[in-house]
Amino acid sequence: MKYPLITPIALALGLCSASFNTYAADDWDESAWEDAGWEDSATTSNTKSPWALNGFVEAAAGGKLQDNDAISNDATLAETRLQVDTRYEWKTITASLIGDFYADDITSKVSGSWREANISWPIHSSIDLKLGRQILTWGTGDLLFLNDLFPKDWQSFFAGRDTAYLKAPSDAIKASLYHAVNIDLVWTPRFDSDKYISGERFSYFSPMLGEATADPNRIHPQARDQSFQDSEWAIRAYKNVDGLELAAYFYNGFFKSPVGIEAQTMQPYFPKLNSTGASIRGSLFRGIANTEFAYYNSKEDSDGTNPFVPNDQLRWLVGYEQELVRNLTLGLQWYLEWIQDYDEQIAASPFSQYEPEERRHVLTTRLTYRLWQDKLTLSLFGFYSPTDKDALVLPSASYRASDQWSFTMGANLFKGQEEHTFFGQFEDNSNVYVRARYNF
Amino acid sequence: MSTPATLIAGYTRLKTAAAKSSLMAVALWLGSTAPAHGEDLTDVNSIIEKANHTAFYQGEDGRAEARMLIVDGQGRKQLRQFTIIRRDVEDNRDQQFLVVFSRPADVRDTTFLVQKHVGKDDDRWLYLPSLDLVKRIAGGDKRTSFVGSHFYYEDVSGRQLSEDLHELKATTDEHYIVRNKPKNPSSVEFSEYSVWIDKQTFMPVKTEYLDTNGKLYRKVEAVEIQSIDGFHTATKMRIDDFRSGGYTLNEMRSIKYNIGVPEEVFTERSLRTPPRQWLEEK
Repeated sequence: MKYPLITPIALALGLCSASFNTYAADDWDESAWEDAGWEDSATTSNTKSPWALNGFVEAAAGGKLQDNDAISNDATLAETRLQVDTRYEWKTITASLIGDFYADDITSKVSGSWREANISWPIHSSIDLKLGRQILTWGTGDLLFLNDLFPKDWQSFFAGRDTAYLKAPSDAIKASLYHAVNIDLVWTPRFDSDKYISGERFSYFSPMLGEATADPNRIHPQARDQSFQDSEWAIRAYKNVDGLELAAYFYNGFFKSPVGIEAQTMQPYFPKLNSTGASIRGSLFRGIANTEFAYYNSKEDSDGTNPFVPNDQLRWLVGYEQELVRNLTLGLQWYLEWIQDYDEQIAASPFSQYEPEERRHVLTTRLTYRLWQDKLTLSLFGFYSPTDKDALVLPSASYRASDQWSFTMGANLFKGQEEHTFFGQFEDNSNVYVRARYNF
Repeated sequence: MSTPATLIAGYTRLKTAAAKSSLMAVALWLGSTAPAHGEDLTDVNSIIEKANHTAFYQGEDGRAEARMLIVDGQGRKQLRQFTIIRRDVEDNRDQQFLVVFSRPADVRDTTFLVQKHVGKDDDRWLYLPSLDLVKRIAGGDKRTSFVGSHFYYEDVSGRQLSEDLHELKATTDEHYIVRNKPKNPSSVEFSEYSVWIDKQTFMPVKTEYLDTNGKLYRKVEAVEIQSIDGFHTATKMRIDDFRSGGYTLNEMRSIKYNIGVPEEVFTERSLRTPPRQWLEEK
């Protein structure tokens, strides 16, 4: 029997006809809400205004933990930032505008930028469209990106800005088709590169100089800014089969940092890149397991003989995450970057002593511990490469004092045995940071 | 045993007048084998199954807006507001939930998708709009805070009946009082809990949790129950944590049942683009 019979019977007898039934009214402290009434929600069309305005003000400071011969300024983060997030909804159309305005004492600039400026609507019952500046993410890695070739801001990440700033915006058109297999199609008419470590506030290793360098030896790559000609395509096809998430990826564009060198001018540039990959994610034991691979086809150097352009590369990731005990979660990842035609690369390289290993292995751990009813979050993320013998450790503590105020402190600790390895080159950039944010 | 924490599922459904009379007619015609008012049930399994249904499975689906006031032991307050859509895959079994947050500002537009499974871990995803990230969350311990409140995930989505041993402790004029002891005590923080179940509606109206010393440390109460368009619904809930002195109030409004929400709403598309058609009050 689907429903208890006793209820209709009781009702029919008029025993339960009161439309209002109070069990413990004394326990309900209406005054505790004070002025905290119902806010027009994003979803209550009959009462809400089509406008929504939110944002935050944040002050952040950070500095290096050691002298860096290549950079005189010990400060790595010194800024006050205002983010304003407005949205306008009309019928099925949503317009979203998120602007950041900041005073940055590292660059001595007061400036602003749009983080999002887009309009989205369903053009068909099974097709969504989003036009304009937007944040784009896909893939299964945790701080490891294989098939996600949307722009990253590594400088923000290493400086200790909020993790959201690791994802830089794209000026793109995204069409999402929902069918037996879902398809996302992203076209970026003009290439958006990563914000890579360029020497502005962190030093990097220069094979040509044979040492770490920074300003004034900033990386000034050849521009890749011709609309349509320098466009990027990214496609994801995905399907969820009873909780098992399957996805295939394709990318046609350019390496996201200037890893190529123009032979005549010796100027860095962004070589062409095609990438094909796939991922699976699902429950395993008491946690979540994922695996993802990508094959990077370096179109300008398919046979690996051009020393000024990266070779093809196979990337493979295996990950697992599980709650160990209440509120303590452990995530583990193993990641491989395997350079193809490695012998040809070494044979042709003018700096073979600085070339990366043929197979670069990286292990990561993430420990997250939430306390005080999620008000305090302690996190420890570590990258360790047994082949490069280098590491990056990211401890952080985040305290959400109220719905308005939150405080974060943390560190980016690089360690390496050699000057030229992926994390090792940044050893003298190790830094600590603090942030205080007021949400409105 | 379900607790009455009903931000998602505390929907008590009453039949329409037509259904009432037809059901009563059937009951009379069959010789009224079902217990009539005044005849108490004595089978504890039958009571908890009805209560579980009442607390978590009424109607085929539903939507509601909820707000929470979270007060810690020092009197510091936080607010949460969200809209929730629920769909039963199979009555008293698997369910789907979509939760869309509207405040506070730092979680605005964050969405949460749950495929609840009976007999295995739920599948859970969280969408973080600032990163455009669909994060899959490990099943893990369900007795951890739901969005920073004193409610646990398990209070919201329901504790599986098979995890406890149930005993009908007492039958009063108004309530069945059912005592529940965990089959695996190391998996939970309580040693036992008792549920007061309304004899007429089978609504769990109060749940008290005892620690290993037999001391009451946690209480969930349905504070107000309203009949909305014929649906008997717990619209105000209070949960107390006597150890810290903190509590959470939960209030629901704009409740609608049997809106006909399709299965496709509970997918990644809705995480990234909340389905206004189903979220908005009509």
